[in-house]
Amino acid sequence: MLTNYTISVFTTNTVGLLNRITIIFTRRRVNIESLTVSETERRGVSRFTIVIKHENREFVEKLVRQIRKVTDVLAVFGYLDDEIVFNEIALFKIATPLGGVPVDVKTINLDWNAKIVHFGLDYVVVEKNGSEADIQEFYTFLKKWEILEYVKSGRVAVGKTEKGLVEFLPEEGIWEIV
Amino acid sequence: MGQTQTQTEAANQPDQKKFLSGAQAIMQSLVEQGVDTIFGYPGGAIMPTYDALYDYQDRLKHILVRHEQGAGHAAQGYARMLNKAGVCLVTSGPGATNLITPIADAMLDSTPMVCIVGQVKANLLGTDAFQECDLIGISMPVTKWNYQVVDADEIPEIMAKAFYIAETGRPGPVLIDITRTAQTDLMTKPFEYIPCKSIISYKPRVEPKAEHVEAAAKLINGAKRPYILAGHGIIIAGAEKELNDFVDKTGIPVATTLLGMSSMDADHPLYVGWPGMHGNYGANVLTNSCDVLIAIGMRFDDRITGDLSTYAKQAKVVHIEIDPSEVDKNVKADAPVVGDAKAALRALLPLVNKANHSEWRAEFKKYDDEEYEKITKKDLFHEGDKIKMGEAVNLLSVKTKGEAVVVTDVGQHQMITNRYYRFKKRNSIVTSGGAGTMGFALPAAFGAKVAVPEREVVAVIGDGGFQMTLQELGTIAQSGLPVKIIILNNNFLGMVRQWQQLFFANRYSFVELQNPDFITIAKGFGIAGHTVSDRADLSNSLDTLLNSDKPYLLEIICEKEENVFPMVPAGGCVTSIRLE
Repeated sequence: MLTNYTISVFTTNTVGLLNRITIIFTRRRVNIESLTVSETERRGVSRFTIVIKHENREFVEKLVRQIRKVTDVLAVFGYLDDEIVFNEIALFKIATPLGGVPVDVKTINLDWNAKIVHFGLDYVVVEKNGSEADIQEFYTFLKKWEILEYVKSGRVAVGKTEKGLVEFLPEEGIWEIV
Repeated sequence: MGQTQTQTEAANQPDQKKFLSGAQAIMQSLVEQGVDTIFGYPGGAIMPTYDALYDYQDRLKHILVRHEQGAGHAAQGYARMLNKAGVCLVTSGPGATNLITPIADAMLDSTPMVCIVGQVKANLLGTDAFQECDLIGISMPVTKWNYQVVDADEIPEIMAKAFYIAETGRPGPVLIDITRTAQTDLMTKPFEYIPCKSIISYKPRVEPKAEHVEAAAKLINGAKRPYILAGHGIIIAGAEKELNDFVDKTGIPVATTLLGMSSMDADHPLYVGWPGMHGNYGANVLTNSCDVLIAIGMRFDDRITGDLSTYAKQAKVVHIEIDPSEVDKNVKADAPVVGDAKAALRALLPLVNKANHSEWRAEFKKYDDEEYEKITKKDLFHEGDKIKMGEAVNLLSVKTKGEAVVVTDVGQHQMITNRYYRFKKRNSIVTSGGAGTMGFALPAAFGAKVAVPEREVVAVIGDGGFQMTLQELGTIAQSGLPVKIIILNNNFLGMVRQWQQLFFANRYSFVELQNPDFITIAKGFGIAGHTVSDRADLSNSLDTLLNSDKPYLLEIICEKEENVFPMVPAGGCVTSIRLE
């Protein structure tokens, strides 16, 4: 059975590092479901959040260790879904032509916990946060309008505990907190 | 020289407003790092650095190879002998791509290398400029670290980091891609070289954790049939003495891997040979009878384990390894000890009990005797017309008293050499193990000789592999270094032929070679040599080779269709080993 694994990789901010990390997945023929890179609370430290699906936990542990081996990688954590708090963000651009079905702002707000972030002349942009499943469900709901564009971010996640599948903490933490 | 120094000193005076150029900074960094030898080949994008090198010739010996691949393998041979980074200097584009094979080889065989490659001017990056190639991209999967320099000021720091990463932890190749701009620009500050001592994101563990050592000792002390596999890590860590002390105390039989060979005296009573596809009978079969398998500085390569699902399943595994990603990668460790082999063995020694294991050791002897009867005897005391590879190597071993540095290429002759050369001296084998790079031996032997000119260095090469890098005969001739070259010529790509015979129903698909006259070729390069095909002349021929004070090539015409045994079929169980 395929299980979701979320791999958080902390790195120094170096040119080309994204490539160095992704080739580890490529080499082992693992498809990356989503990947986001962002700054962290520590200056000069970037955080990669990579989601993969795999049936073999041991395989993922090995993968995590291979990532740790990259010289510019500071720490790597592999998580199962219940070990993290995670979210995604989606934007929907919906056609609202004259005479069409009006957008039901109240339902979108209250029932779907989404919000309209931009009103165009003949369209609106709706933002929805949530899990992949939440967003998928919302997508289905929005289908009664014409969806002009749809985009979804990769997963962002923070661990519930400090422990992941394989834990490697740098031995010294001298980074300045931003 | 005086002038250069004055210039350098002057250039380092801040008030003179003139600092070192990037190219000079590269040279100065190498000197301050303690580098004295560079293997290289000039070309467009690295010319400013070669110009700076002109002024450093008295401090940096540059060896001009004939092909960049030769520079890489020579640097590997050099590095393996001295346990410090071999340095290559080549130009951008094809110059750098020619280095990729040695870099990949060094990555798999944990060989420290620092490759300095030129790159087009910074403003031309990404424009498909002449001799531009994305070396950072290409080398990423096969380097331990790589970096592109566009700013001359970065050079000292990056160079220091390169050597630190290449040489520490599990050693490996590092590539520094230096744009022409960074070479020609002047630094904006005085040159200062501070050797790298640590990197925040890179902390190789040397000292193992005490609790891990204790757990390992407990397993070892409880073992009735313990067995040690000693790998390259022993040689890299310089832990030969520690291994011997450990073995002498515990009485545990030791096999060495292909690259770990020579970490133990071949005549040590506890030495049982080597495991793996063409390893020894007992060393393979008894892997599946031992109760505790102690792997030190090795990574359970598939050529050793064969089928993992049947490999040493009965055994508890102690895995001493500096690279944490190797632990549990192929074989699950019951007692992993992450750390340097030397430190780990030192920590273990006082915790292990004295033992003898004589019954268990006798089992190896039983298999040895059978192997001797069925294989060794036939290889060494063969009565056919043609010389067998084994007898040639055996005679070489006797004549050099097992004290030469032996450099092999890849294939049948490599396996035969490791079977029959009885290594008596530490760090004496240089071979391409993980990558299996044909063409490795000739340049690597040259590099080894550069590193240890006082030692006899003998390259044993097949007729196929020799033709992949034979242009390095020119480098050898120009250096005048007495590298001894043996070609074991069977007019075949022997190992592939053997597989085709055994596993592809004798369908010999493109393995027979029409070879050139190797002796004429050597003569063309100014290297003396001769051919021997008669057994009666073999001994004298080897004497001629070994007594030469110049480089010498000896071509030995061998039996054409000799097979190497024992053999564990690829992916087979170690007990499925074939003796014929």
